[in-house]
Amino acid sequence: MTATKRITIKATRFDPDKDEKPRLQTYEIPFSDDSMVVLDALNYIKGHVDGSLSYRWSCRMGICGSCGMMVDGVPKLTCNAFLRDHWPRPITVEPLNNFPVIRDLVIDMDDFMHKLKAIKPWVIRKQPVPLGGGAFVQTTAQIDEFRQFSQCINCMLCYAACPVYGLNNEFLGPAAIALARRYNVDSRDEGLGQRLPVLADAEGVWECSFVGECSVVCPKGVDPAKAIQQTKLDTTMRFVLPFGNRD
Amino acid sequence: MPRGWWTRRSNYFWYIVREFTSLPLALWLLWFLLEIRRAQDGPSGYHPHSSLGFVIFSVIVLLFALYHSVTFLSLAGAILHFNVADRPIPSQLIVLSQFAAWAAASVVVGFVLIYFAR
Amino acid sequence: MNAELPLSHTVGEGQGEGRHRHKPAIAHLFWWFMFAQGGVLAAILLPVHILIQGILGPLGIVPVVDRHYDTWANVLGNPLVKLYLLVLIAFPFFHFAHRLRYLLVDLGVPAARGVPAQIVFYGGAVAVTLGTIYILLTTVPISFG
Repeated sequence: MTATKRITIKATRFDPDKDEKPRLQTYEIPFSDDSMVVLDALNYIKGHVDGSLSYRWSCRMGICGSCGMMVDGVPKLTCNAFLRDHWPRPITVEPLNNFPVIRDLVIDMDDFMHKLKAIKPWVIRKQPVPLGGGAFVQTTAQIDEFRQFSQCINCMLCYAACPVYGLNNEFLGPAAIALARRYNVDSRDEGLGQRLPVLADAEGVWECSFVGECSVVCPKGVDPAKAIQQTKLDTTMRFVLPFGNRD
Repeated sequence: MPRGWWTRRSNYFWYIVREFTSLPLALWLLWFLLEIRRAQDGPSGYHPHSSLGFVIFSVIVLLFALYHSVTFLSLAGAILHFNVADRPIPSQLIVLSQFAAWAAASVVVGFVLIYFAR
Repeated sequence: MNAELPLSHTVGEGQGEGRHRHKPAIAHLFWWFMFAQGGVLAAILLPVHILIQGILGPLGIVPVVDRHYDTWANVLGNPLVKLYLLVLIAFPFFHFAHRLRYLLVDLGVPAARGVPAQIVFYGGAVAVTLGTIYILLTTVPISFG
């Protein structure tokens, strides 16, 4: 029987009551199973080494979007970041970039929540359809228009990867714009007129300079960078084309 | 954001390079404007740029220009979306057509620049 | 990186629904449109000009129209050429202005986002456009020969 491998985890510690600023704490834990992910390592630390370590997590399977952190400087879902890709090097785990830190690895997501709400991420109808009014029929081609954008799980990795948001927190940001587009191009939706003032505001799509890193780090294959540029193009065409719909 | 954020990941670095291409391109176009202006000097006073320094400058600018063209046309292809018979045209096809347009424009402009030199 | 974010950082005051000054930013829309147009033109037209007029011509590898006064002046007199040169030079400068302004923001100059910077950069592009029109109209008289 071989001795269990060990791996070093450096995790950000920050207690707003005691610490002036965050610091890294080093833990060495057993790397007993090749399927272990960074979240497993954090759970091991909390269960066996240091119960005071704080971080968010829920589903362990890339659906809930709550365990996003910086893993060696890259925003990742920790439930989807395998230790075997880093071993024997140590792994540095930090809270998501570009957000205020509440404690240890927990960030304040209020700003994102406000922005998400501002783009009204639900199907808007000009005339409400009564219950029993029948189903909205959609073709597969109509679903394909928005399916990719609807995969967003609000994990905020794209905000942590976005230097434009990092430099200017007023920027509406990748996920909110991708979700706005998800509804704007949905054949059932009639809310473009309500979302456009937020999207096409000075702090909306125009701030994006197409770094493209949001789409690189997205764990669900959403392409927010494309959504933003397409929104710029569509909005511009509505004004430029002679018979553009300007309502 | 720390000031050197763009040096920390290669994607960020190449993004900054992509944005920076505009500076050498702008300088070259200002030279070009000068070249047009110098046609005012008349038949005896007109001497086109020939120095080795200018050629080296142009080679460097050309590298930036090619990087701008490749990145801009590739990214623009990802944005443009057209539907034909209710189906979107694959973005690879749009990118390909952009590069074809670039090639065609280069051939036409190159032909004019060389043909009318006689 | 996170160490630099103060806890007192206010959130939710930016894009939240509390702010009601949302209007489509027409100026941003227009400058982005010009940026995109200039970018396309620079991408498909500039490399061949740089290759032929900046490298092959000066090295004498191919004959190029701007190497001799007669051919250069002859082409420059053509109104279609004047129009082409205006498009070739003016539009890309709106592209450059936009990119360089945001490059400054990226490199840590937040003031480049403000209205004074916009006036300087986009105004510069307008100035180059006007200068190009002036040079094209005054250098070689329009001729249809």
